[in-house]
Amino acid sequence: MVQREGSVCGANSGCTHRPGAHRRKEEREMIRFFERDPYSPVEHVYEVEKVLYKGKSRFQEIMVIENAFFGKVLILDGILQLTERDEFFYHEMLTHVVLHAHPDPKRVVVIGGGDGGAVREVLKHTCVEKVYFVEIDEEVINVSRRFFPSVSCGLDDPRVETRIMDGAEFVKRIPAKADVVIVDSTDIVGFARTLFSSDFFDSVRRALTDTGLFVTHTESLHFHKDLVIELQGKLREVFPVVDLYTVPIATYPGNWWAFAVGSQALCPREPRRPLQISTRYYDDEIHRQAFLTRRFYRRLLNKELPW
Amino acid sequence: MVRNFKVERHHARIVSKSTLFKVLDYLDSREITTPCLLVDKEKVREKVSLIGRGIRNAKVFYALKANPDMDIASFLQDERDLGYEISSEGELNVLASVGVRAERIISSNPVKSEKFLQAAFAYGVRRFAFDSSLEVDKMARLTPGAGVYVRLSVPNEGSEWPLSRKFGAELEEALGLLSLAREKGLDPIGITFHVGSQCTNLYNWNIALDKAKILWDRALVQGIALRILNIGGGYPINYTRAVLGIETIEENIDKLIREKFPPDVEVHIEPGRAVVGDAGILAASVIGKAKRRDENWLYIDVGVFNGLMESVGGIRYTYLVESSKGTRRNWVLGGPSCDSFDVIDKNVVLWEPDLNNLLLILSGGAYTVSYASEFNGFSIPKTVMI
Repeated sequence: MVQREGSVCGANSGCTHRPGAHRRKEEREMIRFFERDPYSPVEHVYEVEKVLYKGKSRFQEIMVIENAFFGKVLILDGILQLTERDEFFYHEMLTHVVLHAHPDPKRVVVIGGGDGGAVREVLKHTCVEKVYFVEIDEEVINVSRRFFPSVSCGLDDPRVETRIMDGAEFVKRIPAKADVVIVDSTDIVGFARTLFSSDFFDSVRRALTDTGLFVTHTESLHFHKDLVIELQGKLREVFPVVDLYTVPIATYPGNWWAFAVGSQALCPREPRRPLQISTRYYDDEIHRQAFLTRRFYRRLLNKELPW
Repeated sequence: MVRNFKVERHHARIVSKSTLFKVLDYLDSREITTPCLLVDKEKVREKVSLIGRGIRNAKVFYALKANPDMDIASFLQDERDLGYEISSEGELNVLASVGVRAERIISSNPVKSEKFLQAAFAYGVRRFAFDSSLEVDKMARLTPGAGVYVRLSVPNEGSEWPLSRKFGAELEEALGLLSLAREKGLDPIGITFHVGSQCTNLYNWNIALDKAKILWDRALVQGIALRILNIGGGYPINYTRAVLGIETIEENIDKLIREKFPPDVEVHIEPGRAVVGDAGILAASVIGKAKRRDENWLYIDVGVFNGLMESVGGIRYTYLVESSKGTRRNWVLGGPSCDSFDVIDKNVVLWEPDLNNLLLILSGGAYTVSYASEFNGFSIPKTVMI
């Protein structure tokens, strides 16, 4: 929701008697974007230089705004998805951890992530031969191509095959097994929740090779610890190896963002290939350090951490 | 199939994200028969571990009447320190069928049937509440030597479901009853009171504890050394707004008990609503819509008679409705039966659902299924633990 900050009484309002008070540029009526994440105990508010796009797809409201600090910002159903300034933290850490934990990933599936950021990162790995990019909402791809060329830049790569469909349906009928499946979805209680069901996790496992890995975000460990634990438990019913790592993200409420890994066999904590790609945040040390310490992880799952 | 629920802030205040996710995931992934009550195990476990934590020497007894479902009773058995509070043979049968040991059971109903007293005593239950001399006679005869605690009358102002006029003796009478119990060979062990269910007035516990303290001391003067202070239930849960937190309530209670009572007093708490209420979401289906004069009526398959009896007493719920429409309306919410009394709520603003869409009633785990009747042939919601 974009609100006009009209009711605030400031120095430029009619109630000032200061002689010669001029309307300065920074005192002009500022439009603000109030993020509406019902489950966030804090509310993020962004100053809006410009609303670049506002539309409605079959699935959701799509909006692009310009913010002086973060650059262009993509918003779906009132919730911030990415900003030009910090998207690489999320996209690099979503993709490179499992890709480096695999000794030779050739076939990768990206579900969601219509902006193309995850695909861009996957393509940095020269060993990857095929990327299935499965997005349910084509409008998000179109908007990203138009407003976020630096994010969507990989989508025309010949290794990428785009499918506009429900990712849960795609993995059930995957043409050949994948080495890595990456889910880049919107909020867990929204329409993307099919990507967090036990059925889906089970289809993903069956879509993976014997050494395959799966990763998905599971929200903030600060705000939604119960959900993080719940999803670790659900993955554990399906995958022999399950783990969790976290990434600091400036713009997602709760900031301490958790990523859940389900693996057929390989421990995701160890990179199995040298770092040969160019990244801004991810590296092999960050990889290891992103995982919770084993004691802390155990205490988390045992619900011994009261917050 | 992913059902389309528009989750908003007023829902988020009532139900945790993980509970809601589990419920929605459950509803997406199977055909369900409505009405049904989905109870989040993790939430129940969380509440059980929270209740009593803030009070010294506290023991928690789940008031089975809130939801006597066998699966819930059985699930709670694994909570080692938890007991059960019951009132009837029916409730005793539920516990017996899942194998709950008698030491974990108390009965705080001050007026019990003779049949129940016999059955409970035979099962091994040895702790009973009372508030009349006739009850002392009954217990002396049917439960000789049992530990008994007297129910004291306390104010219930501020509770959304007041209880006190029906039960509870005044100070003088209560003191006399404790002595009478001793004379008749019973073991007077303590005092109980009930501030009223869904109590949102912190002060009720202050008054009740003051009164209990006076009785405690006067009993001691008469040579009756009490050991148990049963503070009943009453802990509130969130229905439409955030209420007093359990930590706040218990901090207050603990402070008062430490001030007034000896350090070895055993404190019994009997929560029902606070254990299962906000862990449960009642799922109903839309069975009809109508425009009547200027009112929009929405009919669902659970109503006042088959689950939402407490709406009559003033409990208002928060609803989350499945909807693919972009319009919001102000609804009168009607139950399924032919009785015109079967109206659950008025002035409910909801997205407009279609026929057979689901309507979720948040914080619907307590005093819903257990109050329900099959009036007019409408089924009682089945409880499912998820």
